[in-house]
Amino acid sequence: MSVAAIGADAHGHVDQLYVETRELRLQGFLLFLISDCVLFSSFIFAYLYLRNSGQGWPPPGIQRLDVAFAAWNSVVLFGSGATMHYALENFKHGNFMKYMRFLLATIVLGAGFLGGQAYEYNHLIFGEHVTWWGSGIFGASFFTLTGMHGLHVFLGVCYLTVLVLQSAAGVYTKGKFFGITAGTLYWHFVDVIWVVLFSIFYLI
Amino acid sequence: MNAQFVERLGAVIAGIAVAVVAFYALYKDWQSTGIENQVFKLMLALLGLGAVLALLAGLNVIGFTPPKGAY
Repeated sequence: MSVAAIGADAHGHVDQLYVETRELRLQGFLLFLISDCVLFSSFIFAYLYLRNSGQGWPPPGIQRLDVAFAAWNSVVLFGSGATMHYALENFKHGNFMKYMRFLLATIVLGAGFLGGQAYEYNHLIFGEHVTWWGSGIFGASFFTLTGMHGLHVFLGVCYLTVLVLQSAAGVYTKGKFFGITAGTLYWHFVDVIWVVLFSIFYLI
Repeated sequence: MNAQFVERLGAVIAGIAVAVVAFYALYKDWQSTGIENQVFKLMLALLGLGAVLALLAGLNVIGFTPPKGAY
């Protein structure tokens, strides 16, 4: 099996600028993810601090969150992480059609997760009257953290949609696909943040 | 068969599938080197852990389910 040179386009021409800046771009992207991690960490630690400084959790008058639907919705998002991983692997191995299928599956699952979250918000706000503005620390922390995560998922879905369009237009080649790598890293990051949020809101 | 049962069943079946896929991908990539592959390995491990947690929640081992008619 021939291995495409890093930075080579479909005709075998090497883009020297791409070769020289790829590592720098990767480090920059990882720093972006770390900064996002710090953002989520500060909110998560604030939530945990508030949770442990009160008298019992959840506060009186508020039920604990039901885990059944959240578990199902979480698996949908985690499944999208798996499909994204295989999308990248297939692209690396030159299976373009499989790559596109896995990428589209990731977008569908990501959108499905957002739909599930909207359903849960609807149930909480109109069914149980837990709101961001009227349920104290519990409502504020839950809607802020899950809302911020949902915004990240939404942006990720937009990013992956752009990847589909770019891939269809032939922007990425076997030796030049940093955008897909960055998309995979971002999507895995969004998944991993949800592991933490799922644990602190529904499991402990 | 109520909605909660279906949600739990889905979480269990899909949780097993995702955990197997994530850990198998981690196993296959174990020898890979480079900063991005190290990050991918870490994230695959956490993804597998998340799937296991969702699976356990689906099995009612962890988490909370309100009794019927609680709300």
